[in-house]
Amino acid sequence: MDHKKPIKVLIAKPGLDGHDRGAKVVALGLRDQGMEVIYTGLRQTPEKIVQAAMQEDVQVVGLSCLSGAHKHLFSEVARLLKERGMDDVLIIAGGIIPEKDIPLLKEKGVSGVFGPGTSIKKIAQYIRENVKEQV
Amino acid sequence: MSDHEKIKEQKKFWEEVALKMALARFKMEKSPSRFYTPLDVEGFDFLEKVGFPGLYPYTAGTYPLMPYTAFTAKGAPPAGKGLVRASRYSGYGTPEDTRDYYKGVQQRGGRGGPNLAFDLPTQIGYDSDNPLVRGEVGKVGVCVDTLKDFEIIYEAYQGDLNLDRIASNFTINAPANIIIAFYAALAEKRGVPLEKLRATPQNDILKEYVARGTYIFPPRPAMRLFRDSLTFLIKYMPNVNVTSIGGYHIREAGATRVQDLAFSMAIGAAYLQEGVNAGLQVDSFAPKFTFNAFGGSMEMFKEVAFQRAARRMWAKILKERFGAQDFRSMLIRQVLGAHIGCSSTTAQRPLNNLTRAVVGAIAGAMSGAPPIVYPPYDEPLGLGWSLEAQQLSEDASRILLFEAKLSEVIDPLAGSYYIEHLTDEIENAAWEELKKIDDMGGAVAAVENGYMQREIARSAHERQQRIERQEDLVVGVNCFTDEKELDISINRIVPHPYDENKREEAEEKQIKNLTEIKRARDGRLVSRLLGELKEKAKNETENLIPHMIECAKAYVSIQEMCDVLRDVFGEYELSEI
Repeated sequence: MDHKKPIKVLIAKPGLDGHDRGAKVVALGLRDQGMEVIYTGLRQTPEKIVQAAMQEDVQVVGLSCLSGAHKHLFSEVARLLKERGMDDVLIIAGGIIPEKDIPLLKEKGVSGVFGPGTSIKKIAQYIRENVKEQV
Repeated sequence: MSDHEKIKEQKKFWEEVALKMALARFKMEKSPSRFYTPLDVEGFDFLEKVGFPGLYPYTAGTYPLMPYTAFTAKGAPPAGKGLVRASRYSGYGTPEDTRDYYKGVQQRGGRGGPNLAFDLPTQIGYDSDNPLVRGEVGKVGVCVDTLKDFEIIYEAYQGDLNLDRIASNFTINAPANIIIAFYAALAEKRGVPLEKLRATPQNDILKEYVARGTYIFPPRPAMRLFRDSLTFLIKYMPNVNVTSIGGYHIREAGATRVQDLAFSMAIGAAYLQEGVNAGLQVDSFAPKFTFNAFGGSMEMFKEVAFQRAARRMWAKILKERFGAQDFRSMLIRQVLGAHIGCSSTTAQRPLNNLTRAVVGAIAGAMSGAPPIVYPPYDEPLGLGWSLEAQQLSEDASRILLFEAKLSEVIDPLAGSYYIEHLTDEIENAAWEELKKIDDMGGAVAAVENGYMQREIARSAHERQQRIERQEDLVVGVNCFTDEKELDISINRIVPHPYDENKREEAEEKQIKNLTEIKRARDGRLVSRLLGELKEKAKNETENLIPHMIECAKAYVSIQEMCDVLRDVFGEYELSEI
């Protein structure tokens, strides 16, 4: 049996929000699930996040925001990824995201939104089912 | 045979006969419940361990009485309007939006001063016109760039609600001294003497590095700013509290109960030490320390014991370590006793959060504090609580107080074998953890080397693992869930107190207003004041607040002042997880 390379994930905190419990728990949890996870730390601009995603050549970008700035910030990350030709990167998101904002985020390119109470198992499964295999 | 031996003997009989039979009947290996006896509190000394409410070591309560019983001293029932009155943590959009919000609160019967939530750019020392903060202006609180914004917010507070008549609350940490300077400048302009101002700035910077994240400067210069606030406030604004220490945020970030207690005590001790190092007598400033509640959880008995342990521990630290003699120095002054945490609430089936918050409030009443039903049930659904949710939590507290009469007895679980045992257990574990931090060099060192941050992330990770393994159960999240769940919908008939369109428009409006202020002010004066700020910042012994008040009056912005300090102090960078 050949060993597949682990899925590479960037967990990022865009904007100024300092609530990083969720981001860290997801980062550590996905590591437990066998993925390779890079965590950006706080206060990242969309530009910095996209640069990190390119540099690390990740397949998944996970964004977390609890400050209500998700519409602007997540959309901007998605736009920049597309602009740099990283359309195949799977974008997932979490935090305090009101139900009614989810359609807009999906339209902008966020694939899945996982709110409070989501299990790591569920996120990991979603990633495995939706990630683009590396060539 | 002594009583002690008789109990021991009976315990043996109970375990080997009664309990064993019951376990066999239910085919269980180990009992899921426990029973406590006098054996668990051997040598219990009431006066040493508990004492009277309002007397050392304050285990039973901070104060000698609970002022919240069903009838006041005059025999009349409590007065107050039906609708929510309390000034809850609030503020959003532009200063104009927040001013109008508080006017609305007043129309609904609110009388107190504002409990101001600032947006993240303000909390991190950036102006609204900085491209770095796009999307964040006016979101989690009101945007404040210059004194002008304070002038606008406080238009809601004039006449019999003027600054000498109200108390303000500021959730601000890294730029706390600038906000204090704004408030002082506003008072000066209105002719209100500084010594008449009443306020509580959060001013608890150390916990920002381990939870919440609104730090700017590295911990050491941040402590110098803390010292500036302490010495300035004690001397010129004696009715303003120095700090509101928050174990609450530390627990919400994932800390265990023991970490919450030990880290909060370590942080509190570090602040006390700043005052002592500045040459002040501890009793001259410690009474102006407050606590912004410790953390909470759904584990009711443990939270009750935790609060009792916290009161005892803080009193001992003040008395034994700092040699305090004034009893007011030893008190944990806080708004809440035991309660649940916001992270105890669930986005799934959100009305259940009311039940959860009521459990927390009952714990509050059992812990020697009033039963405050917190947070409102819609906490996890988005920014700002709806009026319905606020009303329900306000009334739930009233029901617990006036119908269930939970506040008739202070610390009703005192003397319980279980609660006394548990209180000792939590306190002892926290002393042990505190010793570890002391050995590292105290709270500042434990932040600098990343110890607190790592420990909290590890605890949060472990909690998540327990939830995934269903060792910790959360109803509607990892158990009792179903595909065909009944969706209990919430009708929104009453408009939300925050106007969402205004919040969306705030960024653009505020940038326009700020541009206008920066254009209209005396630019040369601003440059001169900023140059002086830089020189003063370089001198470690200089207190920067008087100069910040001068800057405020010239409409120097928060970011302009913070940028100067960034230049001198540097910026904090977070260590990795």
